[in-house]
Amino acid sequence: MLFGWKGKILRIDLTRGNCSVENLPDDVMRDYIGGRGAGVKIFFDEVDPRIDPLSPENKIIFCTGPLTGTGVPSGGRFLAVSKSPLTGTISNPNCGGCFGANLKYAGYDFLIVEGKSPEPVYLSIHNDQVKIKPALHLWGKGTTETENAIRDEEEGTEDPWGKNILSVAMIGPAGENLVKFASIMSDGGRALGRGGLGAVMGSKNLKAIAVKGTGEVYIADVAGFKKAFSDFMDEAIANGELKKRSSFGTWGLLGRAQATGTLSAQNFQLNYLESFRKYENPAVVREQIAVRDEGCFGCPFRCSKRTQILDPAYPGTSKGPEHETIALLGANCGITDIIDICKANYICNEFGMDTITAGATISCAMELFEKGYLTEKEIGYSLNFGNADATVELLKAAAFRQGFGALLAEGGHAVAESCGHPELYMGIKKMGMPAWHPQGRFKGSGIIGLQYATSNVGGCHTRSTLTFNPKSPEPEPLAQWVKHYQDLVAVVDAGVLCWIIYHGPLWEEKPLVWLQLVTGNAYTQDELLLIGERTWNLERLFNLSAGFSAKDDSLPPRMLTEPPFDGQVVNLAELLDAYYRIRGWDENGIPKPETLDRLGLSEWKVKVS
Amino acid sequence: MKIKIDHAKCSGCKLCEVACSLKHTGTANIQRSRIKVFIRERYCLPVIAGPYTEAACNSKNIVMFEGEEISECIMCRASCPAKSVFKEPDVDIPLKCDFCGDPPDPQCVLWCPAGTLELVE
Repeated sequence: MLFGWKGKILRIDLTRGNCSVENLPDDVMRDYIGGRGAGVKIFFDEVDPRIDPLSPENKIIFCTGPLTGTGVPSGGRFLAVSKSPLTGTISNPNCGGCFGANLKYAGYDFLIVEGKSPEPVYLSIHNDQVKIKPALHLWGKGTTETENAIRDEEEGTEDPWGKNILSVAMIGPAGENLVKFASIMSDGGRALGRGGLGAVMGSKNLKAIAVKGTGEVYIADVAGFKKAFSDFMDEAIANGELKKRSSFGTWGLLGRAQATGTLSAQNFQLNYLESFRKYENPAVVREQIAVRDEGCFGCPFRCSKRTQILDPAYPGTSKGPEHETIALLGANCGITDIIDICKANYICNEFGMDTITAGATISCAMELFEKGYLTEKEIGYSLNFGNADATVELLKAAAFRQGFGALLAEGGHAVAESCGHPELYMGIKKMGMPAWHPQGRFKGSGIIGLQYATSNVGGCHTRSTLTFNPKSPEPEPLAQWVKHYQDLVAVVDAGVLCWIIYHGPLWEEKPLVWLQLVTGNAYTQDELLLIGERTWNLERLFNLSAGFSAKDDSLPPRMLTEPPFDGQVVNLAELLDAYYRIRGWDENGIPKPETLDRLGLSEWKVKVS
Repeated sequence: MKIKIDHAKCSGCKLCEVACSLKHTGTANIQRSRIKVFIRERYCLPVIAGPYTEAACNSKNIVMFEGEEISECIMCRASCPAKSVFKEPDVDIPLKCDFCGDPPDPQCVLWCPAGTLELVE
């Protein structure tokens, strides 16, 4: 009997309309555990890294891990692995809600979707009953309407409970229109945001996936698990984490970003915004927009918040904005009213777009406009920093590729390049940089830039651990920190656990505890970190095979040359040098043969040299 | 003994359902839980399984709850043929809360991180 894993892969071939079930290979479980690592392994084995991400040859793999659905605190997340249409790299965004748990209860660790359907469809998965159903009537609809319609279709309207135990992942119009930063939305506003995987679903004519599972997940040591859960809760109460996160979620981070000069503002021209002082107290934000706390499956921290604004143009409720959205669609666009930020967030959720890259794209257009490289005639709006109404209208236009929106839909890099100023797009590997400004006002702030530059999925903050007071500002220890937490986070994502809770030094050993108790395997921390390192290197190998090289481990030139008044430029060259050395890569960022041998990736030696 | 529910504190994390299934089935399987959380946009409502009734009732009234019209069926604790919860999947054997034995030691109360559930005299 398998503990934790279900040991099954559900494969859907949309071209042929086939569904099949396969066993999850033992070596994949052993070498990569599950979730991100195993998903990337399966993907890389099956997909040529050089394909066009929007072609039928691309696949999308929905991944759970052995901890999904078990009740491990914050173990309700799932991921999708695919090749990103935005970056061209491997992509594996991560999402909360109940979809992952439902997929697991339905009996599958992984769901692989391949090919392309001739017409719009959605997938209906009820345990072993898997159907591909027509979705033409849902095409063009927003995410809320789509989700409600599918719940009614799947479970009828008679029994309200039936609808309640179903999960839906879907795309909005942005995904259908192949917007490069389209997200996959799930369970009322949760997002597989980064990387534009919504466009991959759109390219396959796959509108949504509805899943309901009534099966079980076995836990190896139930008594030990219960005890560990209780101990963990005691710790979380004693150290204040539970109260802090449940009260204000990620809204509490704004004060820290301001204090350390790491807030992205005005297209990263600033690292602090005086007009955001009013929101440094998260209680002010909560008071204005929160309806209730909304926990992901099995998460005691319940940091996400359902929100509402009293404006008939924005009916119902939405989820978020989280800190990232407040920074990117707010501060970075010069928009300083939380209600305006909520509107932009609402539109992104409803039409299915990544709020971070959307914000980076709009803010780039704003700077281009203010510098005179884009005109009001071209954009249709006088797009100064702070123009909230134009931001909302342009987001809608991007989702439908209307007018100037057609260019926005290609991503900020395309906008900047069309004006002859690619340096003004604040993105890495074309993906918008997240909220944490790499030019903070503390010694060693380059650590943030190093994380972004080396991320395998483009500008992303959930690949390692941010720190605002590194022990030493020297390149060596900074690079060591980044490497260590990149490997640890790969393990967290293999679980699949939540990055927010487990990414830092505080609960660094907990993934080990949970994996041991749930799977019954006698892992050690060193083994787990090796699995994390293997995952990281495999992602790197995918990108190298897709045509990326060391020159792509870069930051926007502004980060290297123009510091905000009290910030520091990023000494990226020195940091990268140390990082490659510590990773066991050569000066071109290619893993050395002995590194690949050590990680059990020897088969790649010939292919990358 | 009763379990008092303060639904305003509930975030819909379903840890109560996991705890219940771990106690009663030794596995994580929330469909076999004797407590289910009904999740809506504006509120979450945990409901604990009561006695089984053989027939679904005819009085499916609409009641106002949290400013929203909902079916009384949601607030009803009975396990009945019309509901897709409070019964074993596949075999449809009805489920009922037993307070996790005698003396009562309800695991849902123990696991709830939000203080939604409370055991009272």
